[in-house]
Amino acid sequence: MREAFYMIDADEVYVVPDFISEGYFTQEVIPRELSLTGPTTEVHGKTIHYCDPVGIHPSMTSLILQRIDEVAPGVPQEESTLFIVGHGTGLNKNSTKAVKDQVDHIKTLPNCRFADVIDTYMEEPPFIADWGKLAKTPYAIVVPFFIADGLHSYQDIPMMLGFEKEEGLAASQKEVFRRNPYHLQDKTLYYSAAIGMEPMMADVILDQISTFDAQNDAH
Amino acid sequence: MTLTKVLSDALDSGINQIGQLRILRGPLRLHHIDDVNLDSLEVHTDPDDAREISLYTSDGKYRFTKGELSLKTGWIFILDSVEALRRAIDLFYPASLGLWNASQNNEIRVQNLRDKLNRQTGMYRHARNVSDEGIQKLVKCLCGPSNKCVKKILWEIDETTPLEDSEASRFDGIVGDIEMTTAIPMVCQEACNFFVAQSRKKAKKEFEAREQ
Repeated sequence: MREAFYMIDADEVYVVPDFISEGYFTQEVIPRELSLTGPTTEVHGKTIHYCDPVGIHPSMTSLILQRIDEVAPGVPQEESTLFIVGHGTGLNKNSTKAVKDQVDHIKTLPNCRFADVIDTYMEEPPFIADWGKLAKTPYAIVVPFFIADGLHSYQDIPMMLGFEKEEGLAASQKEVFRRNPYHLQDKTLYYSAAIGMEPMMADVILDQISTFDAQNDAH
Repeated sequence: MTLTKVLSDALDSGINQIGQLRILRGPLRLHHIDDVNLDSLEVHTDPDDAREISLYTSDGKYRFTKGELSLKTGWIFILDSVEALRRAIDLFYPASLGLWNASQNNEIRVQNLRDKLNRQTGMYRHARNVSDEGIQKLVKCLCGPSNKCVKKILWEIDETTPLEDSEASRFDGIVGDIEMTTAIPMVCQEACNFFVAQSRKKAKKEFEAREQ
């Protein structure tokens, strides 16, 4: 990462962390590695603007809604509970903030017709493993709020939802996103790939730069 | 001067190799140095294809560092500009042109290993506890062409502690026995994250050995 400066001709650089939330890496590691001391820092003759991570940008909300349309087309939202799943950890409260913010945004949308929208986590309550109790509706839609698909979205969350076992194929070959819907606990469940896999994430990166400019009057 | 101009000037001076890449002119082409029969190679015209080609070795193993001496063969790029060539090279070997240019102009910011280890936080903060002796051993078993690294090491342990003489510390960043003036050497300005991770493991082993 520190070598990246050498390959850039431009004098002005925007750094957008491809992370789903604020935390140790965005607040400590990246600034340390790139010698950043604030929103804008002069480093080795270049002006570096340090943006917020993609995951906390408000436009992530429209990404989630688009993903729902793709994963569960035609499913009646009035009879559905939407679960947004984060990792959760006792180590950093910021890790849940991005998920809670998304839930709040979606709930307040004028055209939100979901019976309920709930933030859930792998490692802290409310646990996604309790989705069957939390959902009071016949349909449930689950969107992992992760930057990329990996062990959590391929295996850990499917196991917590109850449709995958630890044994068997390599996690990445389980095709957990292609077997919708799942019929579990007398409900119909739709499971999405990690939100960061959405191609529109590229637009969110650009949105984050525009937001930085607006907030910091960079231009 | 842009890096595209730097590359263009380098080609004019007779440079035709970087890492495991051979550069041919008229028309501008890029292929693996081990490929001889160019007619049998898979042709690419989009420099962005280099990203995919550089991900795995010929036998399908993930190349966890781009400087690994394991680039697969069997492809050739036919490119329409030096800009496109620069793009492809930067995808095969990120920042290699810029690092070389900076080293030529004495603008490279080499970081010695102790400085690198001392600024680590989180689980890697323990890497700083590795001994000098442990580091010297790690260099010999992780760096240099014998360990599949294509880069010339510019750093030392600290200002007063150079790396011991070895194939790894002597390597000049140029693959093969060729005229030095015809290649851009690959340079290592600071230890990679893999080296830091291995330093942490080594420090742990040293600690456990002392406790026994």
